[in-house]
Amino acid sequence: MQQEAAIREPLILGNKTYKDITDDVVGPIVGPAPRGWKILITISSLVALYGIGCILYLIGTGIGVWGLNKTVGWAWDITNFVWWVGIGHAGTLISAVLLLFRQKWRMAINRSAEAMTIFAVIMAAVFPGIHMGRIWVGYWVFPLPNQFGSLWVNFNSPLLWDVFAISTYFSVSLVFWYIGLIPDFATIRDRMTKPLARKIYGILSFGWSGRAKQWSRFEEVSLVLAGIATPLVFSVHSIVSMDFATAVIPGWHTTIFPPYFVSGAVFSGFAMVQTLLLVMRKAMKLEDYIHVRHVEYMNIVIIVTGSIVGVAYLTELFISWYSGVEYESYAFINRFSGPYALSYWTMMTCNVISPQLFWFKKIRRSLVATFALSIVVNIGMWFERYVIIVTSLHRDYNPSSWGEFNATSMDVGVFIGTLGIFLTLFLLFTRFFPVLALNELKSILKSSGDSQKALQNKESK
Amino acid sequence: MSANKTYWSGLDELDRTSEFERISGQEFPAERPIDEFLSDERLEKVSTGRRDFLKFMGFSLTAATLAACETPVVKSIPYVNKPETITPGVANYYASTLYNGSDYASVLVKTREGRPIFIKPNIAAPLGQVNARVNADVLGLYDSARLQGPTMGGAASTWADLDAAALEALKAEGRKVVLTNTVLSPSLKRAINTYCTAHEAEHIQYDAVSYRAIREVASADFGRNEFPSFDFSAAEAVVTLGADFMGTWAESLRYASDWASSRRPESGRMAKLFAFESTLSLTGSNADHRSMVAPADTGRVAAALLAELTNGSTVSGLSDMTQAAVSSAAEALKKAGPKGLVVSGSNDIHVQRLVGAINRALGAEGTTMLWTGNQMFAGDHAALAALTADMKAGNVASLLVHGCNPAYNAPDADAFVAGLSKVGFSVSTALFADETASRCSAVAPTHHWLESWGDLQRTAGSIELMQPTIAPLFSSREAGESMLAWAGEASAWNKYIQGTTATSSWNNALYGGFMDIAAVASVASVVMPTDLADALKAVNAVKGGKLQASFYQKVAAGDGQSAANPMLQETPDPISKVTWDNYVTLSRVDMEAMGLNLHLAEKDWASVVKVQVNGQSVELPAFAQPGQAPGTLGIALGYGRGASGEAIGRAAFQVTGDGEHLTDDNGNLVPIGANVFGLVADQQGLPQYTALDVTVEATGAEYALACTQMHHTFMGRDSIVKETTFGDYLPEKSAPRGEASWNKSMGLGVHADVNGDGEINALDKKTLDNFDMWHEHAVDEVGHRWGMAIDLTSCTGCSACVTACHIENNVSVVGKDEVLRHRDMHWMRIDRFYASDWSQERGAEEGVGVIGSYALMEEPSANPETVHMPMMCQHCNHAPCETVCPVAATTHSNEGMNQMAYNRCIGTRYCANNCPFKVRRFNWFNYSGNDKFQHSNPAQDAMTRLVLNPDVVVRTRGVMEKCSLCVQRTQEGKLVAKKASAPIVDGAVQTACAEACPTHAITFGDLNDSKSKVRATYDNNRAYHALEEVGIQPNVAYLTKVRNNDKA
Repeated sequence: MQQEAAIREPLILGNKTYKDITDDVVGPIVGPAPRGWKILITISSLVALYGIGCILYLIGTGIGVWGLNKTVGWAWDITNFVWWVGIGHAGTLISAVLLLFRQKWRMAINRSAEAMTIFAVIMAAVFPGIHMGRIWVGYWVFPLPNQFGSLWVNFNSPLLWDVFAISTYFSVSLVFWYIGLIPDFATIRDRMTKPLARKIYGILSFGWSGRAKQWSRFEEVSLVLAGIATPLVFSVHSIVSMDFATAVIPGWHTTIFPPYFVSGAVFSGFAMVQTLLLVMRKAMKLEDYIHVRHVEYMNIVIIVTGSIVGVAYLTELFISWYSGVEYESYAFINRFSGPYALSYWTMMTCNVISPQLFWFKKIRRSLVATFALSIVVNIGMWFERYVIIVTSLHRDYNPSSWGEFNATSMDVGVFIGTLGIFLTLFLLFTRFFPVLALNELKSILKSSGDSQKALQNKESK
Repeated sequence: MSANKTYWSGLDELDRTSEFERISGQEFPAERPIDEFLSDERLEKVSTGRRDFLKFMGFSLTAATLAACETPVVKSIPYVNKPETITPGVANYYASTLYNGSDYASVLVKTREGRPIFIKPNIAAPLGQVNARVNADVLGLYDSARLQGPTMGGAASTWADLDAAALEALKAEGRKVVLTNTVLSPSLKRAINTYCTAHEAEHIQYDAVSYRAIREVASADFGRNEFPSFDFSAAEAVVTLGADFMGTWAESLRYASDWASSRRPESGRMAKLFAFESTLSLTGSNADHRSMVAPADTGRVAAALLAELTNGSTVSGLSDMTQAAVSSAAEALKKAGPKGLVVSGSNDIHVQRLVGAINRALGAEGTTMLWTGNQMFAGDHAALAALTADMKAGNVASLLVHGCNPAYNAPDADAFVAGLSKVGFSVSTALFADETASRCSAVAPTHHWLESWGDLQRTAGSIELMQPTIAPLFSSREAGESMLAWAGEASAWNKYIQGTTATSSWNNALYGGFMDIAAVASVASVVMPTDLADALKAVNAVKGGKLQASFYQKVAAGDGQSAANPMLQETPDPISKVTWDNYVTLSRVDMEAMGLNLHLAEKDWASVVKVQVNGQSVELPAFAQPGQAPGTLGIALGYGRGASGEAIGRAAFQVTGDGEHLTDDNGNLVPIGANVFGLVADQQGLPQYTALDVTVEATGAEYALACTQMHHTFMGRDSIVKETTFGDYLPEKSAPRGEASWNKSMGLGVHADVNGDGEINALDKKTLDNFDMWHEHAVDEVGHRWGMAIDLTSCTGCSACVTACHIENNVSVVGKDEVLRHRDMHWMRIDRFYASDWSQERGAEEGVGVIGSYALMEEPSANPETVHMPMMCQHCNHAPCETVCPVAATTHSNEGMNQMAYNRCIGTRYCANNCPFKVRRFNWFNYSGNDKFQHSNPAQDAMTRLVLNPDVVVRTRGVMEKCSLCVQRTQEGKLVAKKASAPIVDGAVQTACAEACPTHAITFGDLNDSKSKVRATYDNNRAYHALEEVGIQPNVAYLTKVRNNDKA
């Protein structure tokens, strides 16, 4: 068994036993739904329904119900798409990359982070769909053999690359997440007394019996999937960024975009994990499993990626001046001094300045501060995409077409709606799924549990 | 032995077991009798009961029905007796002539399957030009608000009843009047005479916008009873004193075209234009030198010009700047001599006398000012005023109104309306129950001009003909026929016309649209030598108040007769770029002083101001117009139609955001803008389109103005707009393309010793065509390569191309609310850029940073130079839109066109985002079905829909569209050529915009045809590609704008 230094903070607090872990994770699933959960899911599903209503109205009436126009053809739709995809980056990064790096602290957060990823990617996938003028022929983006003659998709188009990138990412993430869930579903199945639930969890657990051979295969598959998923973490947002980078529009046409977008995505993904987990640990009484040490680690990731993003912003500014291209130069001057300067400075403050606060250990280890800053970062990252998309488009090459974009209630409604759907899915997840990878957690109880640490400390004395 | 041989299939058979016996018996089971089957009691217990059976049946039927669902097939039914001249799918063209009181144009009307759908200039005829008002008028034919037949007392009637009533009423004692606009038709004149003779009636003419002063001067000082025919094509220097001769003034249609022909830099000849005006007009925006002069000073400018030219006494009261401008204008006029021309938009007799004297002094008579027997603008407002007074006094027994709308545009319309109610019998021949017709006792609707026979004589030398292009849509009757009927001499109108002018070749004349007739040489009557003392005294005595107003006509709206034409309403004003509205133009300084909103946008609305003139007032939004003289304002005539909710057409009224008509507190429809004809003071029969003392106050209200262009300067981006002066142009006139200082092609630095100086440095540059990341598509010298060249020097911004494109390509009209949201659908738009006082260079000199300079560059100068730049899809050979479409819905044709496959488009809008010119237009809604567009979109009206071009699909919601270079026309041209087994003749295929352009600024053709006009223009050294450095290689080229404004 792996040894961890005694002076390291334990990952699992509270002198837990294996049974305690099972109880803590399975308890909320077996027991009745708490009142808070019921209230939350009522609110979030109402918001979700409103959003679905907005989407149906949009599809029924036309894209004109949004505030887009002849100059700004994308705004909230693609902003939301990129934002959601970005959020969807943390889960896979945590479970795949950290698995490969053998970071044990991921075990407390990977399950919910991955769930968040799946739901965020679903939300992200909504936007490229509904932003189409004719969603009913949206399947034409797939390279399907067809009866329309020799019509084929355009492999030059980054939007087509998106289709492949997102669908691959989604399917791999889903499989990876599900594989991880199998042993835990089996645990729940074994605990369930209600026959129907037992049956369902039985099916979900694929007949897991916990034999050594199964565990061995489980580990192997996890490793293989982690290997597949890792490059995807980097490819997805690189490809999303190419929607912009391959265009000719000043402010979009930038080679820095792929790494800049990936770090931005990890940055916002971790912030969203923080937002959700800090609430979840409290609500589901998981304080012993997700605590300051996890939060601090994640905050460090946020500082690193946030700083990369900050450097990227400054590089963009420098290059816009250094390039000597008047359009490029104006695009950036317009960003920080034009009609959308407020968005730009919101983005700068939220994404560059606020994560730097995490250099202070006190702030980094403060749950309240982390929660607040995680929301700030997510706001900042939304504005980043908004700034890139809208300020670049609204004043591009030809000044005669310069205009502005004004969001309508439908722009807002659809976005809020996706937040509602996302939250509903996440709440359902917390109710019916094991929110912690309980079987994996058990593997570190002996190396990084409270009691183990106490033992080690005693020995060292 | 062998006979005893036995075969068995198995041991069972051999042993004959009981099992075998049982099975072998069932090998061929006997058929079960049906009776037995049906009488089986178990059958009763089967769970499929009758109800279930019906359910299954129902389900299967539904499933089968659903599976059979398909788009209903609409069958085209062939003609039973095919008309000889009509081939479905092939257009017929008929020559005709439009005259509506202000515009006069020889046109060819395109008809498809018997429906007129497009109007283009009849270039073979003497007046073969169109403008936006002319070519958009085809919509007027199909307006569903047109009267469906005669009415009496507002109720539908029959022609027999109406004729009987009219004949009865005309027996009454009292003054009988025929009130018309200027009648140019010899036959109509004859009919009116017949009518007048029969009933002892008199004929009064008046024009909606009066040019009476010019005619009075022509008669008094030149001895000619006609309107002078100005020939701008012969001019070398022109001075305009507030006459918008390229847009709306007098015979602008002809002037604009002539003017452009006098400015072809390649010919080494460029006329020079000086404009003195208060509101920036289309003409002012095209002037080489423009001065801002208040209306009250117009006369003084004329006097000063005259003084300079004749060494007369100087004029006081002009600012130094204006005086200097007058001097330089006078110098240019002197140089031009007889080739100089001065025109004035003033209707003040004194100003026009001075202008006449200047032209006489220049010797312009016979060169730029011709006497051709022009009978335009013969209106007499004094007679109208007298008639109005008589009507009010109850002395008028009967009134026949034709071709005019005095209840709307008379200077004292209220008095006219009051008088009309006292007229014994009043009848109008209007097409609509308009302001006047709806108040008449009866309406005898005449045909739309596209349904009419007719003859028109503008000048002495020719008669232009009208011929019907469609059978009358409604039960209307030619006005002349009505008059003849009421005179008791009923006659068929087309026969009557042929009786008016004898010709041996009527059919030929009809085919050509005109016939030359022996011109009766016009002889000037003897006039007294001109004494200008009175005039000089009068113009010097004019005193303007602090704020002065001028009332002008807008290019698209004109005098207001087409207010219900949604296409004209949506055509942006060439200067302000405002659609669907009327407003007060004010200078920036005045608006700042009043604290009015200067910046307009979707959420930034214009401040509403109250303008008071002689005790009358209107409330209109204020618009900060660069080039507006401080202390002056301008308001367009031609708005506020249908103020009492008259049924003049649905598009004439304001609509709410969801497309319903806006109603006021009383439930009446709200007209667009305000009618300012009432603010026009009638000075002894000469309506003055200026008001010298007005007050303006902010009301505090706000009103949305929908502009298609929100940004006014080109921010120093001279790779979009290139311009030079004639002085700089001439020395490098023959420079190879790309080398002249004013049109240098762009180079990019490379790491190679390009210039061979042995060093690799910043001087080593290669031209852009060396850089290419794509495989070369062979477009040069392979088949056709359609291209276009646009001369920015000739383009006046008149917008004829905008409406032509709109109609040809079924481009959706989307209404004010959508334009406000920046979603106009124009495939062809005209970018209007103002010059700014500021530049990055100036910023560097004056120590203002780059960022501060950019902010300052957004502001146009107070009196800016203007560029009009037609902009449509540039058909890039390396189109950024094509690479990004995920479904390859926009692709490149092997003829060089960037083409849209609408039915492949899924609507991601990526192409529009990636278009550097922002020319792609998205169908945000189902414009032809969504209620929001019920009153604006022609496709939503069962009648107006007939104007749609059957060769161009009406785009569905959610797809992208854009200029196709009229691909339907190039395809047709190829087919015609193929059938004729001959190559396409250069010029045989024209896009709608190129065809409509009155100044021939747009050239279209095959770039691979080395002898084509477009190839020559394309290779001209003024030609450049907009945004060349993006590397998109457009198939549309622009020709550098040349201004003739060199300093001395």
